[in-house]
Amino acid sequence: MLENIFRHLPKVLKYVFLALTFSILVMFIQSAFAKKEYEIGAFLLLAVIAIAITYLTNLSIPLKFFLPGILFLSAFVIGPILYTVVMSTFQYQTGNYISKSQAIERVQMLGIAPDEANTTFDVVVGTYKNQFAILASDSLNKRYLISTTSERIDLASDLLTINENGVAIKSSDFSPATSDEIAGLDRQISTTRFKYDGDYFIMLEGSSVGAVARQVLNYKASEDKFINLVDGSQFVDNGRGNYANAGNPEDILQPGWRSPIWFSHYLDLVKDESVRSPLFTVFIWTVIFAFLTVLTQFALGLLVAIAMNKPIWGRRVYRSIFILPYAMPSIMSILIWGGMFNTEFGAINALLGTDIAWFQNATFARVAVIMVNLWLGFPYFYLITSGAMQAIPSELSEAAAIDGASPRQIFARITLPLLLKIVTPLLIASFAFNFNNFNLIYLLTGGGPRNELDGQIAGATDILISYTYKIAFGSNIQDLGLASAISVIIFIIIASISLYGVRKSKVLDSFS
Amino acid sequence: MRKWLADNLWRHAVGILVSFFALFPLYLVIISSINPTGSLQVSSFIPKEFSLNNYQKLFNDPTIPYLVWMKNTLLISAAVAILSVIIGASSAFAFSRLRFKGKRFGIQLLFLVQMFPAILALSAVYVIMERVYNFAPGYGLGTQPGLLLVYLGGAMGVNIWLLKGFVDSIPIELDEAAKVDGASAMQTYWQIFIPLAAPILAVVSLLSFIGTFNEFILARLFLVDMNSRTIAVGLQGFIGGQYSQNWGAFAAGSIIASVPIVIIFLSLQKYIISGLTAGSVKG
Amino acid sequence: MQKKLIAKGLASTLVLALVAGLNIVPAQAADKELVVWADETRGPNLTKVFAAKGDWVSGYKITVKSFSSFDALKDAVDKATDLTGPDIIVGANDWVPTGAKNGKLAPITLPASVKARFTANNFFDLSYKGSLYGVPLDINNVAMVYNEELVKNAPKTLGEMVNYYKANKDKKKLAAGLCIAGGGTSWGAHSVLSALGGAAYRMKNGAVDSSKAPIDPADLAKNIKTYLLDANGKSNGFFPATDTGCKDNYLDGKVPFAIIGNWEWQDYMGRGFQMNLMPVPGVKAGSYGTMFGSVSGAMLTSYAAKRGVEAGAKDLLINFFASTAGATAYQSIELRPPAEKGAQSKVEFTAQQNFGKAASKAGIPQIGAILNGTTGSKSYWDLLPAFWTAVLVNGRDPLTEATKMNNYFVKNITAGVKDL
Repeated sequence: MLENIFRHLPKVLKYVFLALTFSILVMFIQSAFAKKEYEIGAFLLLAVIAIAITYLTNLSIPLKFFLPGILFLSAFVIGPILYTVVMSTFQYQTGNYISKSQAIERVQMLGIAPDEANTTFDVVVGTYKNQFAILASDSLNKRYLISTTSERIDLASDLLTINENGVAIKSSDFSPATSDEIAGLDRQISTTRFKYDGDYFIMLEGSSVGAVARQVLNYKASEDKFINLVDGSQFVDNGRGNYANAGNPEDILQPGWRSPIWFSHYLDLVKDESVRSPLFTVFIWTVIFAFLTVLTQFALGLLVAIAMNKPIWGRRVYRSIFILPYAMPSIMSILIWGGMFNTEFGAINALLGTDIAWFQNATFARVAVIMVNLWLGFPYFYLITSGAMQAIPSELSEAAAIDGASPRQIFARITLPLLLKIVTPLLIASFAFNFNNFNLIYLLTGGGPRNELDGQIAGATDILISYTYKIAFGSNIQDLGLASAISVIIFIIIASISLYGVRKSKVLDSFS
Repeated sequence: MRKWLADNLWRHAVGILVSFFALFPLYLVIISSINPTGSLQVSSFIPKEFSLNNYQKLFNDPTIPYLVWMKNTLLISAAVAILSVIIGASSAFAFSRLRFKGKRFGIQLLFLVQMFPAILALSAVYVIMERVYNFAPGYGLGTQPGLLLVYLGGAMGVNIWLLKGFVDSIPIELDEAAKVDGASAMQTYWQIFIPLAAPILAVVSLLSFIGTFNEFILARLFLVDMNSRTIAVGLQGFIGGQYSQNWGAFAAGSIIASVPIVIIFLSLQKYIISGLTAGSVKG
Repeated sequence: MQKKLIAKGLASTLVLALVAGLNIVPAQAADKELVVWADETRGPNLTKVFAAKGDWVSGYKITVKSFSSFDALKDAVDKATDLTGPDIIVGANDWVPTGAKNGKLAPITLPASVKARFTANNFFDLSYKGSLYGVPLDINNVAMVYNEELVKNAPKTLGEMVNYYKANKDKKKLAAGLCIAGGGTSWGAHSVLSALGGAAYRMKNGAVDSSKAPIDPADLAKNIKTYLLDANGKSNGFFPATDTGCKDNYLDGKVPFAIIGNWEWQDYMGRGFQMNLMPVPGVKAGSYGTMFGSVSGAMLTSYAAKRGVEAGAKDLLINFFASTAGATAYQSIELRPPAEKGAQSKVEFTAQQNFGKAASKAGIPQIGAILNGTTGSKSYWDLLPAFWTAVLVNGRDPLTEATKMNNYFVKNITAGVKDL
């Protein structure tokens, strides 16, 4: 009996685990649909079905190993990538940020203009003859009125209860709302227009202030345009995410919306010199940066590994010191290095006795970036190469030594080639990582130096990803559409290069 | 003696020079952390004033819940380390040992997806987690479980190279023997692969632990509440002020935060090296 | 046996799943909630104020979300959407143009009685295309402080300061003559640019004067050569191009003059320095370099309307952020100079009043619509630091660089005035 239980324990555990997963997911699916998050609900539903099929049947063994990874990858990596691709076909930048329906709502709201005198009232919210109403007081001019959506009743002050600030708080037929009721009425308070005079109405600003205003810009849904009710001008959809004055296309209404412009961004990348040329420069530097980084990190790591490949005195101490840069939180190290490169007060200049403006000069800034990255990364390659060297069978080098090869020859002909073969996949992975090493550039130089006065958009140390970030989230004009298009292009370039490289080096062969 | 010199002197020379390179910035951090003015300026390499104010501030100032940040970081990093290793190891095993259609395509896709400049995907991730928050507030934007989910998005790809190298190095004969005994792929995985892979799994989980420990761009967006922040976010707050920067507290906080990792590293260094080796040997 | 197990497993799975699924329906928020986003110092202080007194708007619960840093707050504001966006954002006034263009901020109309408690400039800073998007909170400005132990009397001209530096550079081991300790080399350094004869834009009778070029390149270049460069066209060390280390050097007595921000006066008072504040003197006696004054504001978002709390959010703005009682309660913890006039008299310190005096001599409004730049141009924030670097670090010709900068400024002014 007991034996039986043990034999089936893994199975039982599996079903309990699956049951738990299902219940949690079903719970989420239900609340997702209840909250109208259909896309996410549908994704989770598909996930449940996929999990059920994979783990309750034997349809595909490999999928049993892949599914959790694939689900997370789809949700948080592939999904966002597809989103980026879609965004690259949109006019999506500062001023064109929200959806069209939201933009119409906003423009309509901003199309309300106060009257000439900026008349405001102190108001009390309540009901008048069972209708939602306000009791409004202009304490300076001693004007008092009750207004509902359909009528306005002017009141004489002697019929009212007026507080010490000259604000009417009570009137016959008017019952003020309690403060708790007001919170419940929030939406009504913000949207109701109380009658005032002609096309002017009173709008509430919070629950105790009323402002006289009128609708100047009005949306006409049937023709999809805004009409200025005062001067009659018309604003039509200009196809680039804004309503523009039909008589003067420069005159656009804010805010605009994200509108599909298909491949305009991509065409700009090809045609527009001012977009293309900085991108090209940045791309070249990115490749150089990633290459030099990997090269220097590997070279120093290897040198140290060779030096430590013999039980010399103090090796343990050395080794502990060498891995310290790797063990420290890298954000901290990068920021500290940033301070060290300061021209006037930095430790580097103090140490070298120079006054180099490291981050103001393109070449020095690039040297600094590579140097900091060397510091951050050489321990990793030290660990890897020293491990790998221990693993290279010693018979080979011993045999070569017997044949009369010098240690240098042994290293160049036997050890290094073997080593390279071992670490190539890791070198490629490191190249890919540094190609997109955002943290380093962002925290160390911010991409600079950048000669703004010469119209430069990209800085000397900007790599593609930091450059894209600046276009998308920089301080001036944020262009997410263009940045997305650049991301896609970067991806295509790097993907082709790495695929070519990977095929050439046969790294993936073991997978075929 | 001359031979000893020729053979060892250069080794020590390299060792000392590189040690200097490695230690120099760390020395400056330590100086800053005991500098009462809280600046990063190097007026001299030997500290003139000594004070533990910056350290005391971390533990005594009620507005700086440093220990809570530490706990959060350790919890999130440990969870990511464990879960991502489970996901990564099973993927690597399947890629290495199982035969299936589209394997080459799959590994290439995984390889390429990691190269996508994902900085813009931040906005998408933000929107997704906002929506999750809308129906499951405990798992969406602003929560630690939500952040954990996002981190797991990269679990499959990140360490696949190290793991794959290791699986490749396990003799295939072992699998075949198991197969003859009637073991399924799952049983081979659990009974043969996992026990053999223990060292490399430890290394990979350590690497992802450190990676998570250092991550701050997503964490900064996600963990807004003072008490849910990680160390990286909390420390960055010291120097990311609108007008003022507190380098002293930053340096002190960084030093304390790196102590656990340094200890793990130093005490496990032999293990780490053998793990990394195992993963990279046999190309 | 195995089939049976699978069947059992399936059955139990389904049952469990159903049970779990049926029970849980998302809870609805009971209380109306007003969400305020703020940075790492303002946030916790607002939380304290609301903890002490939470009924500024009855019927609503006020929640403050404090971000880890000002940058983190801006990041989140950039990415926020209808779903989890805040109702009120406490942030910098130059967020207004972007926020308005992106439809993230919503306008508010204030009654005359509330408007009277602030200056027109305060509102100007928080407006875009004629609509007001928030309530002014605290005033940020800079002033030049001088070290009385080094310089006895307030300098009357820039030349006087440069001469002092040249004469005492070696003797007193000065690191610089004048440096920027607060506000950075663009915002904080406008007064230096202005003392040398340039500006981001010219003001006339309280309005932008777009008829006159902001910079006369020949004049600016001449002054830079005279005051900031040596005979070889290299920086004479009087004015460093970066702000790093300035504060420490001033506190160490290694810099006689520094531009500091009014948010950090306690650091200087704490070290025993007098608040000898003044604007940067110009080339001619009696003239001064103009300085930006700006306000931080509590801004209303369009998300408030989406979540059905717009009236409550406006009430909070009016009853708390724009009221004497609210501003006093908040600024007596936050210790920044309040924009609200009633609170000014209650919580302001002598040091703050001295900043105010300096600003009254040479303050100009900070107009985001011009400074942030336009398509095809560059922002003032990027241009001025680049100018300092080009001229003082890389030894470029001041005339050429000043001409380039002027061209960008003119472009920004032409585009920016349309948005006012």
